[in-house]
Amino acid sequence: MKKILFLYLTLVNIVFAYNYDDVILKAQASIFPKIILLDKKIEDKLIDGKIIYTIVYNKDDYLTALSIEKFIDKNFQGQLDKYDYKINLVEFENFSLKTEASAIYVLNQSDQIENIATMAREKGIISFSYDINNLKKGLMFSLVIEKSTVLYLKKEILFTKKIEFVDALLQMVRFVEKDYSYQNDKNFQNRLNSRIYYASIFSR
Amino acid sequence: MKFKFFGNVIGTSSFLLASVTSLHAQSDNILASISNDLNRFNTVATITKQNEHYQPYIISVFKGKELETLGVSNLKEALHLVPGIDFATDNYNNQTPIFRGSNSLAYGQTKLFIDDIVVNNLFFDSYSEYLGMPIEMIKRIEVVRGPGSKTNGVNAYAGSINIITYAEDFKDFESKDKMVFKYASQDYRMAGFIKKFKTENLQATVDFYYQDDNKRLQAGPDGYSQGSMSYQKPAGSGTYIYDNRGFSQNGDAPVWEKDYSLSLNLKYKDFTLKGRSLDHTQGSAYGINLSLPQNNDRLKLPSHYLELGYNKDINNFHLDIKAGVKLDSFDSKAKLAPSGMSFMDVPNVVNGTANDIDRVLFANGIFGEHLAKQRTLYHSTYVTYKGADKHIITAGYRLLEEKTIDMVSKLSSWSTGDAALVDYTVTYPFFNKNAKRDIQILSLQDEFQYNNKINFIYGFNYEQTSYEDAGFEPRVSMVYQQNLNNIFKAIYSRAHRNPSWQEMFTANNNASIGSTDLKPEKVDAYELAYIRKFSRDTYLQTNVFYLQNKDQISNSAKNASYRNIVDTDIRGVELEYSGNITSSDKLYLNYSFITGSSKTTDTGMTSSLTNVPQHLAKGYYIYNLNNALSLSGIVKHVGSKERIDGDYRNKVDDYTTLDTTMTYNNHKNDYALSFSVKNIFDADVKYPSKPNTYIEDYTQEGRKFLLTIRKEF
Repeated sequence: MKKILFLYLTLVNIVFAYNYDDVILKAQASIFPKIILLDKKIEDKLIDGKIIYTIVYNKDDYLTALSIEKFIDKNFQGQLDKYDYKINLVEFENFSLKTEASAIYVLNQSDQIENIATMAREKGIISFSYDINNLKKGLMFSLVIEKSTVLYLKKEILFTKKIEFVDALLQMVRFVEKDYSYQNDKNFQNRLNSRIYYASIFSR
Repeated sequence: MKFKFFGNVIGTSSFLLASVTSLHAQSDNILASISNDLNRFNTVATITKQNEHYQPYIISVFKGKELETLGVSNLKEALHLVPGIDFATDNYNNQTPIFRGSNSLAYGQTKLFIDDIVVNNLFFDSYSEYLGMPIEMIKRIEVVRGPGSKTNGVNAYAGSINIITYAEDFKDFESKDKMVFKYASQDYRMAGFIKKFKTENLQATVDFYYQDDNKRLQAGPDGYSQGSMSYQKPAGSGTYIYDNRGFSQNGDAPVWEKDYSLSLNLKYKDFTLKGRSLDHTQGSAYGINLSLPQNNDRLKLPSHYLELGYNKDINNFHLDIKAGVKLDSFDSKAKLAPSGMSFMDVPNVVNGTANDIDRVLFANGIFGEHLAKQRTLYHSTYVTYKGADKHIITAGYRLLEEKTIDMVSKLSSWSTGDAALVDYTVTYPFFNKNAKRDIQILSLQDEFQYNNKINFIYGFNYEQTSYEDAGFEPRVSMVYQQNLNNIFKAIYSRAHRNPSWQEMFTANNNASIGSTDLKPEKVDAYELAYIRKFSRDTYLQTNVFYLQNKDQISNSAKNASYRNIVDTDIRGVELEYSGNITSSDKLYLNYSFITGSSKTTDTGMTSSLTNVPQHLAKGYYIYNLNNALSLSGIVKHVGSKERIDGDYRNKVDDYTTLDTTMTYNNHKNDYALSFSVKNIFDADVKYPSKPNTYIEDYTQEGRKFLLTIRKEF
C-alpha cells in the first residue's frame, strides 16, 4: 500500500509539459481567425489595411507553427472576410511591442507568456492561446475539447476598451475567472445576457 | 431646402441602417461559421475519443502512430499496455485478454470490434485470430473496461476493444496511403498496404496484409503425462486399463501463424459497406487432445464479414440501420494421439456395441479433421432523437441468427486403429451440426445533460434468446465535471455473456462436454472514477471497481461438462497516468490492483481469485532526440498468480519485461525505420495451464528483435 501511495504521489508531483494535439490545433486555426472579425474595432487593428495574425512560438515548435500557417492559408486562401491577412511567425524572444500584429496566437513552452500577454494588452489586440492554462497569464481566448468543444474567454476582456466583441459572441463563449472555475454568480450570468449587461452599464 | 435636409437625413439613415444590417448579417454569418466549426470539431473529437475523460466509461485510448513509434507490432502487444489486462491461453493457443481478472478460463467476456463490427468468432466467442493484426493497419484502439454502451446491442461483459482502421477519415484529418514491411525473430515476415480512393460522393479504403512466421515454443511434458487418454477403472482408483502416460512428449509446440487479410470500406452518401476477409491459420499448438502435435498440424480460424449500413439525419432524428453477415470456422487437421498407443473403441463403447476393455492399437497414432463452420446474420435499427431540451434519446433493436452451416468430424478408425480417416460426422460428431441460436435485443437510452457540469446516461437492454434469456439489464452513469481539472464518474451496469458454442454444443469429447441448459454469465459492475487533469494532455485517472459475477461457466478435467458453477466477487483499483517530463517526450504509466474471492457453487468451496495477477504495472516512455530520431521503452510487470482449488502446483511466477525501440522518421520523404528489441532480459513469461494438462504451463516468447519499414504516400 505504501508503494501505491508513493507511486501516486510521485505521479501527481511530476513536472508537466506539452505535446500538441492535432484536433485542437486545427480547431483553433479554423475558429480563432474568424473571431478577429467579430471585434467591432477591427479597423483600428489593421496594419496597411491587412489583418496580421502573428503566431508566437518556441523555436522547437517551428514546424508546428508552420503547419498552422499552412492550414490557415489552405482554409482562408489569404482572405478573412473582406480583409486581406498575413501570417507572421515570431519566436517568443523576438516578440516585442514593435512586432506587427492585429492578433496573436500563442503556442506553449515559454516563461515569457505573461510578458507577451502584457504586451498584447498594451497594444490592445486580441490574444489567443493554445493552452487554456495560459489564460491565467493574461491571454484572452482558448478553445478546449471537453465533452463538447468549448470556447473560453477570460472574463476581464469585458472591461477592455480597445476591443469590443459583438454581443452574440459573448453568448457563445464560456467565461473563466483567474481560478478557472466556472462562473455561477448572478451578476456574471447577467453579463452573458448582453441586454441586461449593457443596460446596467448605461444606468450607472 | 427642407426636402433636401430630410432627404439627407433619410439617405444617411438608410445608409447607416444598411451598414448596420450588413454588419449584423456579416457577424451572423461569421458566428454561424464558428458554430459549424465547433460542431464539426466536436464530432471529430467525440468519434476519435479526444474527449474520453468526459465519457461515461472507464476508457483508455491508444493511437496507432504512437504505438508504431513504441515498436508495438500488433494488436496483442498493444493490449498488453492497457490497465488491468492480462493474457491467457489454452491448448489451442487460443489467446485472450483477461480484463480485471474476470473468468480467466472463458472467452467472450470481452468483445472485439473492428470499425464498430463485432468480430468475436461463434465457436469460442474469442478473437485470437485478430490479435496478430499489424499495428500499422490500426489508427486507434479504444479499450473500455467494464460493460459498455447499451445502444449497440452488444454485451461487453468485462470490457470491449474497438479497433478503428484508417478507413475513418474526416475533413482536414485525412490519413495517407501507406506501405509497411516487417521482419522479426522466428522468421516473422509481414507486408501490407493501405490505399484510399476518393471522389465527390464516394470514399473507399482498402487494406491488405500478409504475415507468417515459424514460431515454435518449448512445451511439455504434454497432457499425456497427466493421464490424458489414459483410463482408470474404477475412476481415480489408480488401476489403469489404458495407461498411455508413457507416450507423453516434450518438445517444441508449433505456434506458428499465417494470415492473409483484405478489407474494403466504402462510403457513398448515406450508405456504408464494410467488409473484411481474414484467412488465419496457426499451428496446432499444444494439441486438441493435449498431445504435442506435429509441426505442420494446423488450426484454421478464418473470419469474414460484410455489413451494409445506412445513416441519415432527418430533422432532429438520426437513423442508423445495419445489416450484415459474418462467417467463421473452426477447422482443424492434426495428429491427435501419438503412434503406438492403445485405447478402447470409444464410439462403439458409447453406443454399447463394444466393451471398454476391447483394446485397439493405434500403431501410427490417431489423426483427425474437425470442421465447424458458423454463420451469423444480424440486423439492427437505432433511432436517436435530439429534439428534446437537454435530452438525447436512443432506442432500437438488434436481431441475430447464429447457426452452424457445416460440420465435419473425421478420425482414424476407432474400430481397427488404422490411421486412415473415417467419417464420423453422423455417428460420432464432435459438435452439434444443427446448432442454432436466435437473439433479440431491445435497447433504450437517455443522455440527460443536467447542466454544464453534470451529465447522466441511463438505459437498459432487454434480451431474449432461443435458449436461456439474459432479460432486463440496466445501466446508469453520471459524469460530474467539477471544473476544468477535476472530473468524477460513477457507473452502475449489469451485463451478461451468453455461453459460447463450444460450451453449448461440443459433443463426444472427454475434455469438454457442452450443454444447452447453460444460463448466461452475469455481472453487476460498480465503478467510480476520478480524473485529475493537470493540463490538456496530462492526466491521472484513478478508478475503483467492484464486480459481482454470477453463474460463471467452467468445467474441469475431473468433470468435463460445462456448468454455471462459479460466483466471483472482484474488487480493484486502477491508476493511469499520461503526461510529459519535458517538451520532447511522453510518459505513460498504469498500475492495477485486483483482488477478490471465488466460490464454486457445486462444492461450496471458496478461494481467493485464481489465475489472476494481483499486481499489474505497465508503462512506456518516448523520447524524441530530435525531429527525426526517437528512443522508446516499454516495461510490463505481471504479478504472480494463485492456482485454482485442487491444483497443487506452485504459483505462476511473476515476470517483468522490457522492450526498447529506436525509430527514424524521414519527414521529407515520408518514411520511417524502426528497430526493436523485445523482452531484452529474456524474462521467463508463462501463461497458466489448466490442472492435469501441461503441468509446466505455457511458455511464451523470450527475447526477440523486430525491424519495420513504413512508407507513406
